[in-house]
Amino acid sequence: MSSHREAPQISQDPVADSTDLYAFVSPDKPSTVTIIANYIPLQGPDAGPNFYEFGQDVAYYIYIDNDADALPDITYQFRFTTEIANPNTFLYNTGPVTSLSSASWNRRQFVTITRISGGKATVLGTKLPCPPCNVGPLSMPNYPSLAAAAVHNLPGGHVLFAGQRAEGFYVDLGSIFDLGDLRPIDFLNNFSPFTKGSPGINATKALNVHSIALQIPKSALTSDGSTPTDPKNQKSVIGVWTAANRQQVRVFETGGAPPVEAGPFVQVSRLGNPLFNEVIVPMSKKDAWNTTAPSGDKAYASYVTHPELANLLPALYHAPNSHSTAFPNLDALNKSGKPRIDLEAILLTGIPLGIVSSNFRNDTGSTLADMLRLNMAVPPTTSKPSNLGIVGGDLAGFPNGRRVFDDVVNIELKAIAGATYPLIDSSYTPDGAVAVVDQGLTSGVHDVTAKGTENYLKAFPYLGVPHSGFSTPPS
Amino acid sequence: MDNLSRRSFLKTGTIAVGAAGAAIAAPGLRAAVRQDSASQDPETHEADLPADAAAEGPIVAHVRNLATGEIDLFVGERRVTVKDRATASRLYRATR
Repeated sequence: MSSHREAPQISQDPVADSTDLYAFVSPDKPSTVTIIANYIPLQGPDAGPNFYEFGQDVAYYIYIDNDADALPDITYQFRFTTEIANPNTFLYNTGPVTSLSSASWNRRQFVTITRISGGKATVLGTKLPCPPCNVGPLSMPNYPSLAAAAVHNLPGGHVLFAGQRAEGFYVDLGSIFDLGDLRPIDFLNNFSPFTKGSPGINATKALNVHSIALQIPKSALTSDGSTPTDPKNQKSVIGVWTAANRQQVRVFETGGAPPVEAGPFVQVSRLGNPLFNEVIVPMSKKDAWNTTAPSGDKAYASYVTHPELANLLPALYHAPNSHSTAFPNLDALNKSGKPRIDLEAILLTGIPLGIVSSNFRNDTGSTLADMLRLNMAVPPTTSKPSNLGIVGGDLAGFPNGRRVFDDVVNIELKAIAGATYPLIDSSYTPDGAVAVVDQGLTSGVHDVTAKGTENYLKAFPYLGVPHSGFSTPPS
Repeated sequence: MDNLSRRSFLKTGTIAVGAAGAAIAAPGLRAAVRQDSASQDPETHEADLPADAAAEGPIVAHVRNLATGEIDLFVGERRVTVKDRATASRLYRATR
């Protein structure tokens, strides 16, 4: 998945597992950027009585580089505390929860946010209430109002929401990990017995996630405090990543006492571009990657420039009514040994000025670093945005930042299949099969709903109201 | 003021002892350390405790390398690395 359970160690530690990162110019408030860092993957909405919550022993971070060196210039830290209102019940709630101070809500979380910039730490908000999980209509008769009460306006124009949301990332997980068997074209898969394709199935359709959503004035993100307006100026570009840290030592006690934790916080999870650690980094190195900083990603560059998945596609798919591969040009490119500089630009350096448009860049210097790069001077696309982002001709979408509806699986599949190689070699012709590489979860490039994710919001925090436990499984 | 014996150190701080870079994680080890150190400790007055000794909470020790005496001490949100072959050796003997 995007980064859900993407590495062996973090798959055992869901509360610290970063799943998705979004960064985009807020479509309804274009003077701001919204960054959403998601954690705790694959939440069944009915998972009571201990519903999901952030780890109060985890330090969550959003990092921003604004001077093209892949080092954080602005850091936001999020720490959570948990309180039990009634120690004598096993229940999450003992009656309808009608407000964030409702006496019938037993287990509550609060968030403290700190901004660190220029060597100065500023606490923007302390012990701000988070919303409950969406248990069901009897427990939370007006869930949207509870969530709205957990949207906090903070100093400096910041807006924060931290709590459960409907999963916005869509993926046909079952097909992709079954030997890359994309359902719409699975009749072309060499291992497939099928004679015709079928629509994709959204594996996350009824699942929830926990989001840290932060809206920030653009002027609070640039290196000089200006509001960027020139998409050709590198100062308009920021690099974003999220990480989760834990203390190095935990000793489990007997007799019910809480564990002893000690030592400095160290990074256990990180995420910039979707799917980087998931499908680029080999399994044997995924745990190590999660502990490192983007500035050290040169060590992983060869997996970007010679991606394993590019070799799998020609081997997995044959042309219609033929035994030859559906990707002959990609196959030849792979065998040539030429590095995929197009993918290096998309994932590790950003796209230089003039490559996709004379009026666009999101490069951040020569340091190879997995960061989600956003040119903040590119206005949001309000009319017919493409879920294929830049690959679909929409400069406001991935890999220029990432919006909640961007079909990042299709974008990266097509890019790895060769769709973006002509950007660096005009003599290369992508295989015809690139056009049909599709997980089959949208009706077209302008479909920004995706199956099961029709609940995107038009305003902050943009990810939809979480699916309720009572409605699980969906009928 | 109480004197710091190795026994009291082990009882008030939480000690995780590893040897040759590998943490010993056998169940009940910590209890075994306490018991053995009580029976084998020849010293009872090694040093005086500072007044704020417990202020940062438990101390966890990880003997990274028994041969060189490299020990990581975890306390609060800090890690202190020391090289002390004698202490590493005493901790090792306490686990036997």
